[in-house]
Amino acid sequence: MSQTITIDPVTRLEGHGKITIQLNDQGEVADAHFHVTQVRGFEKFAEGRPFYEMPSLMARICGICPVSHLLASAKACEAIMSVRIPHTAAQLRRMLNMAQMVQSHALSFFHLSSPDLLLGMESDPELRNIFGVAAARPELGRAGIGLRRFGQHIIELLGNKRIHPGWVVPGGVTEPLAPAKRDEILAMLPEAYANVGMALAAYKQIADRFSQEISVFANFPSNYLGLINEDESIEFTDGALRLIDHRGGIIEDGITANRFTEVIGEAVENYTYTKFVYYKPLGYPEGSYRVGPLARLNIVKSMGTPKADQELAEFKQLATGPIESSFFYHHARLVEALYGIENIERILADPQILDKHVRAVAGVNRLEGAGQIEAPRGTLSHHYKVDDNGKITWANLIVATGHNNNAMNKGVLQAAKSYVRGGKFTEGALNRVEAVIRTFDPCLSCSTHAFGQMPLAMTLLNADGEVVDTLIR
Amino acid sequence: MKQPPDTRCLVLACGNTLRSDDGVGPWLAEWAEERFSANSAVRVISRQQWTPELAEEIAHASSVLFIDCSVDSTPGSVKLTPVEASPVAQGLGTHHLGAAKLLALSRDLYDSLPPPAELLTIGAGSIELGEVFSEAVTAALPSACRLIEETVLQMLNQSSQRK
Repeated sequence: MSQTITIDPVTRLEGHGKITIQLNDQGEVADAHFHVTQVRGFEKFAEGRPFYEMPSLMARICGICPVSHLLASAKACEAIMSVRIPHTAAQLRRMLNMAQMVQSHALSFFHLSSPDLLLGMESDPELRNIFGVAAARPELGRAGIGLRRFGQHIIELLGNKRIHPGWVVPGGVTEPLAPAKRDEILAMLPEAYANVGMALAAYKQIADRFSQEISVFANFPSNYLGLINEDESIEFTDGALRLIDHRGGIIEDGITANRFTEVIGEAVENYTYTKFVYYKPLGYPEGSYRVGPLARLNIVKSMGTPKADQELAEFKQLATGPIESSFFYHHARLVEALYGIENIERILADPQILDKHVRAVAGVNRLEGAGQIEAPRGTLSHHYKVDDNGKITWANLIVATGHNNNAMNKGVLQAAKSYVRGGKFTEGALNRVEAVIRTFDPCLSCSTHAFGQMPLAMTLLNADGEVVDTLIR
Repeated sequence: MKQPPDTRCLVLACGNTLRSDDGVGPWLAEWAEERFSANSAVRVISRQQWTPELAEEIAHASSVLFIDCSVDSTPGSVKLTPVEASPVAQGLGTHHLGAAKLLALSRDLYDSLPPPAELLTIGAGSIELGEVFSEAVTAALPSACRLIEETVLQMLNQSSQRK
């Protein structure tokens, strides 16, 4: 008789989800699914609102990456306005995006994943948290908090709020950077470099212990999507999208925001509220791909900053082509955090960074507009249609977790097949199946636009669909 | 990076201003900020949730007054209770920590003795969506303010005596 395992809720994620594992009559894993179980429907709420309200409304989707929604939404609005924002405003927005990326990656690495990495997948689950890390490696716990503070404080300095800053508006930003704030950010850089350096060293020290996990944590050929500059360096706020295949060959390049819906589609499965995003010319599911730190580093030829370029060169030594195991999202995240700090330093050195011209003003000049950026977790797209009065008539958001949905589900199945044996699972096995999802650092509230508690859970079902085991933390 | 200033009394409030009485923590924090605006030894922080990052602020403080609403108390009842660091910090969430766990995290990460700490709670009458306090909480605000004032002044005094 076949069985199903359910992990519900899956823990240490941004959002609420569960995993079910279906066993066959022999007790072997037949199938596995990652379910995102709540729905919110932000696109529908947006209808009828003036387009210029959208950035601050959309930022409320998430408390972890409100900046990403602010920026993608503002860019979509600027497409409707047909304006090009001032250079200084663009630079300040880039800095804001970097600050958010650094704090978000610090949260993912130190708070959510370092307990597995530093204490071990089989360690006592009661202590497998940041308290356990604090006891075992307090200097790393402090580094994590320091790096989070670095990013959050820059967001607060620029936007006057740590979460949901209203500083980014259609056309630019509401106020220029004051010299005192620039100096305060510059003074924070040395400690931020030290903290990310400590994290990279710690990761490299322990990564070899996880060869088994590396081999089965969503380790399969896939396509990768992300923003890139014309010089093939990494990009988070501007540029155009590139899609590559598992050998590194370019499938399509130069996908701008207004071409996004021509080539990107969304499929629906009946077991989750999160859609499955795919590249239309290849169809679904063949056109599925991954986004986020691993994808971005697989796509680019350089980071464009010296320290991060050294790390990228080392990272790319892990394979001859794209690096396929999602375990390496952790490594990629730290390389990006280092890049973020270097990029902030570079932006502050711009001689125009204190310029007071930071906002372009216009009304409705187009009835449709789209914006795309790289959020910490991957590509984020906002697409709006408005009437002649600028009221939203239609909105669509495509978020990183939707892009990664197919890979996350395949990854859960791959890990379940490796760790669930004879219809049984140990706590350590269960933790590894969850940890596959954590590598992607999905934001589930964003992906379904969910409301409620954060954790995720696991269920084991037999061939008749009966629940034979459940684990809820 | 600039470290938080050494604080003789840290007032740490939490709550959601869009959930009726849950917003009483931020309201009282705002009151405390104004009341002690001339005293640089008092630092007031208000957050929607208490997150692990606040452990660093606690490590730099000589005493801490936590302020929160309570769904387990009689609506409008104002209570002040001492808080000890959790002996073993288990089952930690990364989005929200209680006062005892924050003290424990501060102790473990920064290798410092947890500062004397008190938790002031006001019993919530409603935490439904809304920006208006219930009658019970509205009526309790003056006594809560008085208790905050007394407690902060006492903490400052005790901190001076310890020096």
